[in-house]
Amino acid sequence: MLAKELVKEALRRALATGADYAEVFAEHTQNKIFDLISTRTDTIKDAVISGVGIRIFKGTRCVSGSASSLAPEAILDCASRVADGLNESAVITDIVLRERLFGDRHPIKIVPSDVPNADKIDYIREMCLAAKEYHEEISQVTGTFLEVDHKILIANSEGLFAQDRQIRSRLMVAAVASKDGENQTGSVRPGARKGMELLEDFDPKELGRKAARQAVTMLHAGYIKAGTMPVAIENGFGGVIFHEACGHSLEAGSVAVGRSQFVGKLGTMIANEKVTAIDDGTIPNAWGSINIDDEGTPARKNVLIENGVLKTYMIDKLNGRRMGMKSTGSARRQSYEFNPTSRMTNTYIAAGQDRNEDIIASIEYGLYAKEMGGGSVNPATGQFNFAVEEGYVIRNGKICEPVRGASLIGKGSEVIMNIDMVGQDVARGQGMCGSYSGSIPTDVGQPLIRVASITVGGR
Amino acid sequence: MTYQEFKEAVVRIALEKQISDYELYYTESTGTSVEIFKEEIKSYQTENNMGICFRCVVEGKAGYASTENLTEEEAGFLVERALENAKSIESEEQCFLYKKGDEYAECGENKTSAPTGAELADTAMKIQKAMYKADARVVDGTQTGVGYEVKKYAIFNSNGLDLEDQVQYASCFATALASDGKEMYNSGKSKVGNLQDFDLNKFAEDVVEDAVATIGAESVDSGKYAVVLSNQVMATLLAAYGGVFSAEDAQKGLSLLQGKEGEQIAADFITITDDPLYEGSVMKRTFDGEGVATYRKNVVEHGKLVTLLHNLKTAAAAGVKSTGNASKASYSSVVGVSPFIFYLRPMEGTKEELFALAEEGIYVTDISGLHAGANPITGDFSLLSQGFLIQQGKKAAPVKNFTMSGNFFTLLKEIEKVGEDLEFLNGKVGAPSVLVRDIAVAGK
Repeated sequence: MLAKELVKEALRRALATGADYAEVFAEHTQNKIFDLISTRTDTIKDAVISGVGIRIFKGTRCVSGSASSLAPEAILDCASRVADGLNESAVITDIVLRERLFGDRHPIKIVPSDVPNADKIDYIREMCLAAKEYHEEISQVTGTFLEVDHKILIANSEGLFAQDRQIRSRLMVAAVASKDGENQTGSVRPGARKGMELLEDFDPKELGRKAARQAVTMLHAGYIKAGTMPVAIENGFGGVIFHEACGHSLEAGSVAVGRSQFVGKLGTMIANEKVTAIDDGTIPNAWGSINIDDEGTPARKNVLIENGVLKTYMIDKLNGRRMGMKSTGSARRQSYEFNPTSRMTNTYIAAGQDRNEDIIASIEYGLYAKEMGGGSVNPATGQFNFAVEEGYVIRNGKICEPVRGASLIGKGSEVIMNIDMVGQDVARGQGMCGSYSGSIPTDVGQPLIRVASITVGGR
Repeated sequence: MTYQEFKEAVVRIALEKQISDYELYYTESTGTSVEIFKEEIKSYQTENNMGICFRCVVEGKAGYASTENLTEEEAGFLVERALENAKSIESEEQCFLYKKGDEYAECGENKTSAPTGAELADTAMKIQKAMYKADARVVDGTQTGVGYEVKKYAIFNSNGLDLEDQVQYASCFATALASDGKEMYNSGKSKVGNLQDFDLNKFAEDVVEDAVATIGAESVDSGKYAVVLSNQVMATLLAAYGGVFSAEDAQKGLSLLQGKEGEQIAADFITITDDPLYEGSVMKRTFDGEGVATYRKNVVEHGKLVTLLHNLKTAAAAGVKSTGNASKASYSSVVGVSPFIFYLRPMEGTKEELFALAEEGIYVTDISGLHAGANPITGDFSLLSQGFLIQQGKKAAPVKNFTMSGNFFTLLKEIEKVGEDLEFLNGKVGAPSVLVRDIAVAGK
């Protein structure tokens, strides 16, 4: 993407005013999003993103700059602009850049840009048609295919010069069911760090029918009565509970500045002993996987919590300086326009010993949360929320009638103590996670779990 | 290559490929921001970003491609991609480009000069010092930041349209962290405007007061409550549901307001306005994402839906004129529809008068989780909330960790009173406090 000599000169300029670390992040990305409404292509968004983000550190102070260009003069100008943020004399004058190859754990069979629009559109249309034909109450269907080809180059004053190419694809189908002036929705959103071969993993008709079934089910559902109760949360995207209740609060960006409920808790019991939680950026072809993070540190499998005990935070270089700890390969950024910080990759609660039937049977009255939507958290207080898109009442240990979307809320540090049954069948679901360094792809996951008590925001 | 050179290359290539209808949309942003932590500079960031979107219309279908890479080779690639994409569009609605002829409001009337990085840092430092001073329970983890940004927008099309607009504004944010020795409590506030107009001490004191006022908050009993939504909470809801007023969503069957023009959709004293030229706002925009001149319009007047918001395509499909609400979330986005400066009109009455009317209930001052907990297609919401009890008509003890659930369309009809305290979120969506009854709350 950029010549080594140019990058070296940019680092040299960035270091000229006394920084003790400098980093160049360059990117060239092609994004394409196909949207179908009903069964026709409505829009195609097709974007090339290219630019550079440069950072320098002096102790824990960070000066950074970005420019939407990969032209040499723009990069050098950006480096000088960043250097202007400090005003001392250079402490590092000699940089030797050595190229490092970290390999690729995520082979791509078919690069999406090699495939004509029509093939992608035909697949989305099949999803949409199946959803539309599922039931007469389906009033509208939208379908999407998204492809990302993200090439990055990272070099720093420690001599690193590394590149990676991240290809991701995602399918989405959403159905609206309507009756008597009321709407309800259902959706399915699988994705992976794969090329067009993602499409072979699914039957498009099945995806469409799944979204439609959810919408129709919810159209005929009532509301659950508000209150506090036991909840069984299904595997896959159900893992959003850990992501919100705990994951964000273990990111160094919150921990390093004292804005996390888990500051100073390393080595202590912060979760129920049944909970082991892992953030693993190395899972082959997973949506949230990386080869190297956005500071050039190789991806790792980090055990965050083992049998309830906090083992590590997720750490990037800058926050690591504040915490006196090393990077865990967790630095991520949406693009060159954002500064990287510690983020999740593929985060999940590991398999436990409980049987699914025992988990459901253990609940006298509660909620079975089958499909979840996104959520959010305030890491400082631990107050989190996430949405249930498809739920069912549990009565006397049996799954009964469907109930409409309700939010589940709580305080992270209390709720992860309340995860008192953990099933065996781990599955992961895909999401976009938004935080300080922008919107990034992450997987969440878990087996079926029971939360002994949580507030359910019904009516 | 400069934008001008790139533009000339694109025009030449479009001619060669015999594309007669095309448009270039350009944005550029330059900005500086500073963050302070423990009364030291934590980060200092500058950006100099831009992007170009090429849109061609072939047989009524729009093809898009965008880039940030201004080279001769990329210009050719850009046009080719857009052309290929246009050929893949199947929707029946006709797209077309705007012609010149509108009269546009004056742009860039904000003549304040850009503050230096040192001035921004100094301002952020002042806010932070004032926050520590405001209350002894304020602890490290409290952060402040100040930034300044200039954004330029330009549209050039084959119909002779050639427009430029600019917004420039300062923004500041503060998050206060307070501790009672056992638990942490926080609050956040942000503001956009002109730096010299910010009352830094008041801003600092307000955000600290918001945080310490929540100390000791507990949950509430589940049930139905009379609820006063603070101006910020009401504006947050209005922002989350802004899309329901889009004719695009309505025509696609994704808004329950489809076909409701002229009908009563809200209480008869509710008026909701979109005013892209809102007097005194730093977010004023003179033309929309297709180059149509913007203007002020009531979307809801005395509770009746007067109009949905339109761009050229949705207006043509509905047989009306565009309301000048074509939007592009970023330069690379396809043209959509959204309000510019959107607000619920204030009436008379302070917050305290709303509390008195409510008698017993909850004053909700913060909601979160809107991206998942508020569904624009169904109108349903179920949101993590915090605030204060209202007892005997007065603001009482703080409460947190409860949800407030309902439906936006029902809420509009059931608002009992609108207050006077209009406030804007980030200068773009505003509302006063409102009183509404029978809201489902889940707590203990």
